Amino acid sequence: MEANPAHSRLTAIALAFMAVIWVSPFSWLFLNAFNPAATGSLAIPQSIGLDNFAQAVSGNAGRQFLNSMLIAAGTATLSVVVGIAAAYPLSRLKIPGRNAFLWTLVLLRMLPSAGVLVPLYFAAQRGGLLNQFGVIVALTILNLPFTLLLLKNFFDTVPIELEEAAYVEGASLFQIVTRIVLPMSRAGIAVVWFFSFTGAWNEFLLPLIFSRVEAGFPMSVGLYAAFGQQGSVQYGFLAAYSIIYAAPAVGVYFLLRRNMNTGFAGVGVKG
Amino acid sequence: MSLMKNQANPWLTSNLLVLGLGMLPALLLIGVLLYFTAWAFAFSFTDLALVGRKSVEWSWVGLQNFERLFTRRGFLESLWTTVIFVFFSAIVGQSVLGFLLAALLRGTQSTIRTVVEVCIMLGWLLPDIVAAFLWSATTSQTGLVNSLIIVPLGFPPVNFINDYALPVVTIANIWKGTAWSYLLFSAALDSVSREVVEAAKVDGATPFQRIWLVMLPIIRPHIATNMLFITIWTFTYFPLIFAMTGGGPGTQTQTLAVFLYNQSFSRGNLGFGSAISVAMLVIVGLLSLVYLRMLREPK
Repeated sequence: MEANPAHSRLTAIALAFMAVIWVSPFSWLFLNAFNPAATGSLAIPQSIGLDNFAQAVSGNAGRQFLNSMLIAAGTATLSVVVGIAAAYPLSRLKIPGRNAFLWTLVLLRMLPSAGVLVPLYFAAQRGGLLNQFGVIVALTILNLPFTLLLLKNFFDTVPIELEEAAYVEGASLFQIVTRIVLPMSRAGIAVVWFFSFTGAWNEFLLPLIFSRVEAGFPMSVGLYAAFGQQGSVQYGFLAAYSIIYAAPAVGVYFLLRRNMNTGFAGVGVKG
Repeated sequence: MSLMKNQANPWLTSNLLVLGLGMLPALLLIGVLLYFTAWAFAFSFTDLALVGRKSVEWSWVGLQNFERLFTRRGFLESLWTTVIFVFFSAIVGQSVLGFLLAALLRGTQSTIRTVVEVCIMLGWLLPDIVAAFLWSATTSQTGLVNSLIIVPLGFPPVNFINDYALPVVTIANIWKGTAWSYLLFSAALDSVSREVVEAAKVDGATPFQRIWLVMLPIIRPHIATNMLFITIWTFTYFPLIFAMTGGGPGTQTQTLAVFLYNQSFSRGNLGFGSAISVAMLVIVGLLSLVYLRMLREPK
């Protein structure tokens, strides 16, 4: 707002002050991550080294990174593939009961995943799925209402005239979908994929319950197990591990920043 | 009418079988989700356990689990903790701070805006467990707050997570979640027409009056939407609190989600745990219905 200069300068100082407070925990994180002799306290490192990072990508820690990648990429891909196959007919056909189904999806999306935790665990235990594959399937199930609604909204924006024109030219359903619908909603599909990816990358509760051995932990559970242990905490290692774990989620956002508005528009649910 | 629309799209009508087959996996998985929700209700009437004999030979116990919710210690205390946590971290912290930031940064394209935006976004983008580790370490006895503020001022170091557990997780959640409210309010304020604000300014309204009397009433629907969204999310939020305190010390930070986890998977009372999740489903379901009604109203 264009108030008097003194007022705006005061506001600027207040905002800058807040920004500094907001990022201060990160300064701590970086100082410890690059300090081979980190003790957890806020100190300028005597020497700077990448030892902590080397430790955080080897052995069990490295395997946990791969586990997270597998779970996140698997969940995102499965959700998007299953979602596309159902969202296209939902968008194009006036199926009887479609609105009731869409409202069901809206309700399911809002229900807490904790609500179905016990049956989910029990079913996975019975089916021998207390492993990474089980996590992928469970997360896909929990993800699907959200993915379906978003994808349907994106397909709704593809003009049907283009499909009609392609049909007149003799294109089959498969060609229409792969040559027109998917390319035209590419940005939307990418946003949905990355939403699902970061969601699964972040997921903690399900892998905590489903993972049986340390080598099978994703990074969320690995980090929790490491800093939850009482006693000597290896701050340097954990700081480096945290930076590696956070990097994809933060990076994806800045990569997709321009497309995010589309994504947010899709989140506002329309029946 | 609906038939006519379908007839106009022959590539769809002649491939109904293929389209139907394509929908099958999604319908199946949604069906499984509904089935699990139904089972959560069914389990809540049993004495199912995680391990031991009761994990195989469970039996129906009627309303016993639901009686336990209200007669034994635990549930009501956790509900209260959750309400306090949601009220201070989401409703007071995130939305007020998010709104203030959005109002202060509105319209400016300065570097300050970019810097502040990126700073609060970082908290939001960070995985929950990294945020938990960061705040555990920041508030530890040798951590940032103690070594930068408390000890230089001449006080002995404070063990924040032991002594002020609920305020610490509340502040951590404000730090983590404010970006969402900020983004939503930013978009809402951008939709307020400049003319209206200018007119108020010409009429002599102070900046505070312009915000309170002009902008707030206009974006009221956005405020309501934001409130319900963050209320529902925070109500069921689990990782940050659990990783920082595990619900402790004692049961000071045991929100409903943590209580559900502790009962189901630490103590193994899956039947009682299901009763807790049913209670949570009912509460969140009611909140969602309120939200859906508000979404429908503008039409």
